[in-house]
Amino acid sequence: MAERRLDGAQGGGGAGFAGAGANNTEPRISGTSVPRLDGVAKVTGRAKYAVDLDVPNVAHGVAVRADRAHARILGIDAAESEAVPGVLAVVTAKTVAPIDVRFGHISRDHPALAVDKVLYAGEPVALVVAETRRAAEAAARLVRVAYEDLPAVIDADEALGEGAPLLHETHPGRTGDEGFHNTGGGGLAGNLCAENTLGWGDVDAAFEAADLVVEGEYRYPMLYGYAMEPYNATALFEEGSLLVYTTAQHPYMVRDDLARMFELPLARVRVVVPYVGGGYGTKSYTKVEPLAALGAHVTGRPVRVALSVEEAIYTTRSDGARIRARSAFRSDGTLLARDFDVVMNSGAYSDNSPLVCAKLANRCFGPYRLEALRVRCRSVFTNTTPASSLRGFGAPQGNLAGELQMDEAADRLGIDARDLRLQNVVAPGEEILPGKRGIDADLGADLELATESLGWGERPGVGFGISASDAGAHPTSVTMVRLHSDGSASCAVGATELGQGSRTVLSQILADGLGLPFERVAIVQSDTGVTTYERTTGASRTTTLVGRALLLACDDARRKIRELAAELVQGEIEDVDGGVRAGGEELSYGDVIRRWFGSGGEVVGIGAIRKAGEFDKLPPFWEIGASGVVASVDEETGRVTIEQLTTVGDVGFAVNPALLHGQDLGAATMCLGAALSEELVYDGTTLSNPNVVEYRVPRVSDLPKKIDQILAERRDGIGPFGAKGGGEGSGNTIGGAVAAAVGRLLGRYPKELPLTPERVWRLAQESREREQEAVHG
Amino acid sequence: MRVDGRINGREHVLDVAPSTLLLDLLRDLGLTGAKPSCELEVCGACTVQLDGLPVSACTTLAIELDGRSVETVEGLAPSDDRLHPVQQAFLKHSALQCGFCTPGMVMSAKALLETNPAPSRDDVVHWLEGSICRCTGYEPIVDAVLEAAGAMAHG
Amino acid sequence: MQILSDFQLHRPATVDEAIELRAELGDGAALYAGGTELLLAMKMGVLDYEHLIDVKRIGGLRGIELRDGALRIGAATTHREIETSPLVAEHLPALASLERHVANVRVRAAGTLAGNLAFGEPHADPAALLVALDATVELAGSTGRRSLPVEQFAVGAYETELGEDELIEAVVVPLPGRETRAAYLKFQVLERPTVGVAAVAHNGDAPTVVVGAVDERPIRVEANGDVGDYVDAARAAVDPVDDLSGSAEYKRHLTGVLVKRALEAIA
Repeated sequence: MAERRLDGAQGGGGAGFAGAGANNTEPRISGTSVPRLDGVAKVTGRAKYAVDLDVPNVAHGVAVRADRAHARILGIDAAESEAVPGVLAVVTAKTVAPIDVRFGHISRDHPALAVDKVLYAGEPVALVVAETRRAAEAAARLVRVAYEDLPAVIDADEALGEGAPLLHETHPGRTGDEGFHNTGGGGLAGNLCAENTLGWGDVDAAFEAADLVVEGEYRYPMLYGYAMEPYNATALFEEGSLLVYTTAQHPYMVRDDLARMFELPLARVRVVVPYVGGGYGTKSYTKVEPLAALGAHVTGRPVRVALSVEEAIYTTRSDGARIRARSAFRSDGTLLARDFDVVMNSGAYSDNSPLVCAKLANRCFGPYRLEALRVRCRSVFTNTTPASSLRGFGAPQGNLAGELQMDEAADRLGIDARDLRLQNVVAPGEEILPGKRGIDADLGADLELATESLGWGERPGVGFGISASDAGAHPTSVTMVRLHSDGSASCAVGATELGQGSRTVLSQILADGLGLPFERVAIVQSDTGVTTYERTTGASRTTTLVGRALLLACDDARRKIRELAAELVQGEIEDVDGGVRAGGEELSYGDVIRRWFGSGGEVVGIGAIRKAGEFDKLPPFWEIGASGVVASVDEETGRVTIEQLTTVGDVGFAVNPALLHGQDLGAATMCLGAALSEELVYDGTTLSNPNVVEYRVPRVSDLPKKIDQILAERRDGIGPFGAKGGGEGSGNTIGGAVAAAVGRLLGRYPKELPLTPERVWRLAQESREREQEAVHG
Repeated sequence: MRVDGRINGREHVLDVAPSTLLLDLLRDLGLTGAKPSCELEVCGACTVQLDGLPVSACTTLAIELDGRSVETVEGLAPSDDRLHPVQQAFLKHSALQCGFCTPGMVMSAKALLETNPAPSRDDVVHWLEGSICRCTGYEPIVDAVLEAAGAMAHG
Repeated sequence: MQILSDFQLHRPATVDEAIELRAELGDGAALYAGGTELLLAMKMGVLDYEHLIDVKRIGGLRGIELRDGALRIGAATTHREIETSPLVAEHLPALASLERHVANVRVRAAGTLAGNLAFGEPHADPAALLVALDATVELAGSTGRRSLPVEQFAVGAYETELGEDELIEAVVVPLPGRETRAAYLKFQVLERPTVGVAAVAHNGDAPTVVVGAVDERPIRVEANGDVGDYVDAARAAVDPVDDLSGSAEYKRHLTGVLVKRALEAIA
């Protein structure tokens, strides 16, 4: 594949090269594609994931799951099940009273085990804990649950309608976490999980005055993120503390939920996350940890709950969306106003959908200058698997509608689709959202890179788009750097290694922050008992935010070394690589430490960032998408072939270009899945495809024939050396790009993903019929 | 049932219930490289070699080990500085991210190169069709396998 | 992890032993070779057996040979062995090509052609081409041996003419003549084929077209005119159902497209 790296750093520039740290660290190891630190462990099979951990005396928990979408629980009879040899306990919400089994980081509405009602088919109702997996599974089949069926609702618009079955009789209210304010929690009624509105200007007047109004309704499917390691957790209580090994992306968020549930101080809940077999947002926030912990609480044994893929599909999916959009243009191509009404199908519990809703609202109208805007985004409860984060986080859903409308407008105005975007896209520094950080990217330049690579204007079947996501989440991060008595250094960070390469990237930044060779640094991650607080690993934030916190910790460690050195030598002290120069002498960190302590010792530096100072304005950075495709269609079968994929990684500075390219291609590939084959399908109240045989993710044979990956590094971000986040951006425009490409080939833009062969065939049919009508009048 | 077979070159004589799956047997022996994922033979995360050919250990009976030879990813490299060419190529091409599919991919690739030392790109794509990766977008994996083929051909 | 419920495994050394076991154990026993369909169904709880009869150690049940103008494929022969067999490559390249695309490489390494036929999964590839090639299955049971055209063996979805005490010994495919042209094309949306079409023309005769995977069993297309006649006849002959791979209407349309393309391939 072609990989190009463009250093657009005109004069070190953009929004200011803010990310260097107090002593103006220069990138040295950062910016090179050092081999990933976890590579050898992973190719030799030695890397341990939570499902591999060997915990002594562990018992196995298997969930009994509701076989219906909405019902009151009349009773749970565990007698037969308890009699199975090897069964230690059958745990239900009632049997663990007075523990409140609900968890939830935005709204504490999600019971680990159903209390009075089940709200979706597949919801855990009981947990059987047994000596062996075999006994637990056999016993789980013998738990008898008596239900009183209630009418169920699957479709989100229906759930908003009059007389729709009500899922949550009361809304438990928000947890009050500052990081989740603005997630539309006011005035919720009925099946409304969240509502976000935003806008400015006089939208109606703008539409009145428009020369062209494009309108349409678009649909983005419900997806299953299919991380190949399904959720699993092993929990045990010891010494008055709870210890959990799990697959969580955000161990500190899980810690919060568990501490609340078991009324333990945070100091007595330890969440440990080894390598994670795929995250993509699917493992954001609490999943099966409460089940395992409840099992451990009841039995006094370590309990492992390890889900199958099917059970994982019944645990978390992503929000599908119905998007009604209108865009108003002047005849010269000026985009005047946009009006979006989005309804998200968020499933039975809030999970992270309120945040996805807020982000969808922010992202749907695209990175364009608008004199008027109206967005209303509603997240709706339905009797389906709860929805939560997935890579892209509202951007793919909104982008589909927004960018297709740009393409349609271009056709109808007779303006080139790229030029139409260039005309309206915000310039570097300009605000997309009033009061938010101005855009720290040159989207126009990115678009030109993409369209040139794709051969726009020179060949058929090209589709592309641009997007900007207010990424980075809430900027709370604490890191710790330890300088050892031999001058080597390690760091402890709460960030998790999901495959995205945090382990390697942060080590590179650490090495540069201290001026040490790469071989002299080490990293410890994601153990709340050992590492310092990291709010989340997601929202493409780790390189940027944790990287900055790490550089601050390096600065702090260096400051302390200087202080110690001042006690040891006379004269001015200045930093050098790996140590200080003082009184004409060069002292390594190790020299200072050994001399100061006399024997052993270490120096610890702490770096903390929060929403203040240069991180006060949100988002910390904008994550850019400028990907596109060249497609061909076999009209007889509807099969779409991707002839070329182009991604543009506008990441400010790539700490590890190889890892970045990997993330860009991975994100684009995932979104190609949603574009062409992935959707969770409900047949009435039953999920038809709760497995990866009937839910089709991209395969190697779906590889685009040609792949061009471009890295645009303009050093315009707030992260180390001007970095910004990546890992989601390159997927965000793919759905719209594929739809546009297919639309151009068939003469009719689709409005719904995925573009399965049948949908494309029908589109081709409709288009041909339209042509016939036009010809024959 | 008595089972007498070789795992990574070492003989194992075991008493195994017929209903035991090969994946469980291997993982209980501490060979956790092969992973449980789809458990429906379609993802390849549990791929091991059985008499040289790739099989889904999740849907293979452990008793099939009897009189036969199983190879897992743990048997490839005698030490970290003596990695198998397939492993080296995967590292060189960044053909892994989360790594959960990697043991299965590596074993599948190894099986390919042992049956077809000079595969075309199409041959590689065809062979790996049944192995899912969610992280990489596949291209680095195909590149890695072709590189390993070259390396193994030159000894 | 999915777990199998307990069962006993039997390893007969001869066909006769296998037949005796079948007769003795009745429908509590299943024949087992690669297990690629059987074990999957057992893991999913769709099938449950207390006994499995492993046919892989029966002498003479594995291998491919030329005998009496036909290719005789032993019942325990895997898809991969057929795919890579020099005999099949030489005499039945369309079959080699079909086998190369069955499921995935791991299923091909363990699964058997006979097992595929015996399981009767309707969304499968081999049956359509075997019917078009006039292949037969050789069965052995307590009442003796008999031979049955695959077309009569594959009765419906998961339904075959295999007797309760019988097992397949071999799949026999008559060698086509030098001038025979054969092709198998399929279209796949999800994990299993959506539609498969086999077209075989012997020495200038009107082609035989058989449609598989889209209906409960392979459907022979009765037509003898031009391509359009075959397409129309095929579309009328199949009875697809709506499912996740597509609507009945789409599948019917796809059938026509593949019939056309298969006939073009052998023209």
